Amino acid sequence: MAESVTSNIREPQPAPVKESRFSELAIAELEEIASHYPERKAACLPALWIAQREYEGYLPPAAIQEVADRLGLSYSEVEGVATFYTMYNLRKRGRHHLEVCTCLTCAVKGAYEVVHKLEKELGVHVGQTTADGEFTLSEAECLDFCGAATVMQVGDKYFTQLTPENVVKVIDELRNSPDYTPAKLADSIVKVLVPGASEQGGGSFSAEDLKNPAGAML
Amino acid sequence: MAIRNLLFEHRLVPGIEEIDVYEKHGGYEGLRKAVTLERQAVIDEVKTSGLRGRGGAGFPTWIKWNGLPKNTDKPHYIICNADEGEPGTYKDRELMLKLPHLLVEGMIIAGYAGLGTAGYIYIRGEYVEPAWQVRKAIDQAYKKGYLGKNILGIEGFNYDLYVHMGAGSYECGEESALMSSLMGERGNPRLKAPHAPLPVHEGVWKSPTLVNNVETYCAATWILKNGGAEYAKLGTERSKGTKIISVSGHIAKPANYEIEMGTPLLELLEAAGGVTGGKLKAVIPGGSSVQIVPADKLAGINLDYESCSANGTLLGSGGFMVFNDTTDIVLLMKRTSEFYMHESCGKCTPCREGTRWLFKILDRITSGSGREGDIEMLLDICSQIDGRSYCGLGDAAAWPIVGAIKAFREEFEYWIAHKRSPVGDHAVPPTPVVVNPLLTLTPA
Ligand SMILES: Cc1cc2nc3c(=O)[nH]c(=O)nc-3n(C[C@H](O)[C@H](O)[C@H](O)COP(=O)(O)O)c2cc1C
Ligand code: SF4
Ligand code: FES
Repeated sequence: MAESVTSNIREPQPAPVKESRFSELAIAELEEIASHYPERKAACLPALWIAQREYEGYLPPAAIQEVADRLGLSYSEVEGVATFYTMYNLRKRGRHHLEVCTCLTCAVKGAYEVVHKLEKELGVHVGQTTADGEFTLSEAECLDFCGAATVMQVGDKYFTQLTPENVVKVIDELRNSPDYTPAKLADSIVKVLVPGASEQGGGSFSAEDLKNPAGAML
Repeated sequence: MAIRNLLFEHRLVPGIEEIDVYEKHGGYEGLRKAVTLERQAVIDEVKTSGLRGRGGAGFPTWIKWNGLPKNTDKPHYIICNADEGEPGTYKDRELMLKLPHLLVEGMIIAGYAGLGTAGYIYIRGEYVEPAWQVRKAIDQAYKKGYLGKNILGIEGFNYDLYVHMGAGSYECGEESALMSSLMGERGNPRLKAPHAPLPVHEGVWKSPTLVNNVETYCAATWILKNGGAEYAKLGTERSKGTKIISVSGHIAKPANYEIEMGTPLLELLEAAGGVTGGKLKAVIPGGSSVQIVPADKLAGINLDYESCSANGTLLGSGGFMVFNDTTDIVLLMKRTSEFYMHESCGKCTPCREGTRWLFKILDRITSGSGREGDIEMLLDICSQIDGRSYCGLGDAAAWPIVGAIKAFREEFEYWIAHKRSPVGDHAVPPTPVVVNPLLTLTPA
């Protein structure tokens, strides 16, 4: 009997293996961004975004460790930050992370039907990833584009005015597209933080998306 | 009254997000005027305008600006709250996407008046498209000499503007949590006055800090260009100028409408094309945190701070949600409480536990297991959260539930007695897809 009881259940997990995956460009970006603040610690959120890109769309313990090392913070401090914010992925996502808003307006405008349709179409439930690793399905809280309900975020783009019918087309479009991945989202966010980046262009949205803030309504 | 496009005056001008087009339409004139004035005169102009914060609380803007120290013993930071997260609100999104220079100009004006060292625009992580436009606007403003060193040739007027992106947290819209987040921490709120110094004395990095909403800075630009007195001509006695209202829900023309303060609520409803898909049942005028108003109580409410609060609701951030008679108010409140449960930062017990209890009880009622006394229990929990939580999120979780019970008590009673929706099988929002939202809302 004694053998089946683990005596040291309070022993912490082993420290993550140290990795160094930040590219030269990533390090330059981090240093630029860190110079925007009087304290290096303030670059924690941006650094996690960079890490999420460098570690292919999510933050394994090694990514958190690398951010901690690069900012001179403790592992637990960075882990505390990473676990607070819902957009930092602690587990791997599918190539496309479908985040359907089911908050108030979207909910009354049929968001749950869109979710049901996606569940059926993809053969997964909310919170799961398809076997081929293509799609992860999530519910999101208000994405704050309620006028264009139902709204779904995929990577750095919002898909709007979704219905159970047209969402299928969106899925087909995504299957054939390299964009809109979690890493791409992280990349777009990092670029937004870097002065002068607008001249290089970026983001997987079209000029049309940027021009048409109120969706099809205005 | 009704529609009055001040900030939105040029929103449909093609290319207005580019600095050249913006300048052709009077852009950066507000800043040029501001720098010919003494700093105090700029603040006085904002005072004359009567502008109140557009982030939800309606605090007089000039008092904050005036509260910053008049010396630069420490650096001063100017922060824009662009974390727009209130369900129902999407005005800041459109302002940034379409009129990013209006915001950038407003933040430079605030930097001038408030002796700013640097400004940060804190944008929610999901808003990549708007953030991209802001990035471009800032880059263009640097090129034209509106940002950087010796701005507009004024010796010693140095001011930098940065973008900071959030990462998914409603709570980071609360200004002290936003400051935590900007400094690289979890988005927990900080101790407030009278127990701690005001942000304008000690905010981020223990330095004087000004926090305003996107729309507030945009309005400041307009005010400096056209004069505070001109702005104050619009609106009511205590709610001056215009407010952008984001209309959504069962409505023919959902969009952002800039209205004169004091516009009758029903007039906006009409301008937005009226209710769709059934008869009008209720309106939430100011975002998910405010009390719902049943259709028969809408007449007589004007969209300004005083009229809304006199009628038992709030103007809030202007998230105007319209619901027709297929809407089940109890299910709606269940979804609302789910939002607050998910977004509670967990720092204080009344909100962390209370929001869960509210959700659990509403979930039990709407899955047909409601008990007698549940309504009283909801009200009791709300009264224990409201005013007893560490920041405004707790209050905001309690108010809508109390409001809904007040206005639609019979629907709660119906659910408990009959174990089904008073609206019928096709009620919206439908009963849930998700078994345990705590586990499934967003996979870690
Ligand atoms: C839970 C919570 C969320 C908030 N979210 C936002 C927000 O997303 N955007 C915003 O401008 N203000 C938000 N506020 C209000 C801010 O705390 C603050 O009052 C505002 O940024 C001040 O700017 P203003 O004076 O220009 O309105 C929120 C407040 C609370 C309590
Ligand atoms: S009320 Fe308390 S638990 Fe809720 S968000 Fe504010 S500090 Fe966090
Ligand atoms: S409710 Fe879906 S975007 Fe706001």
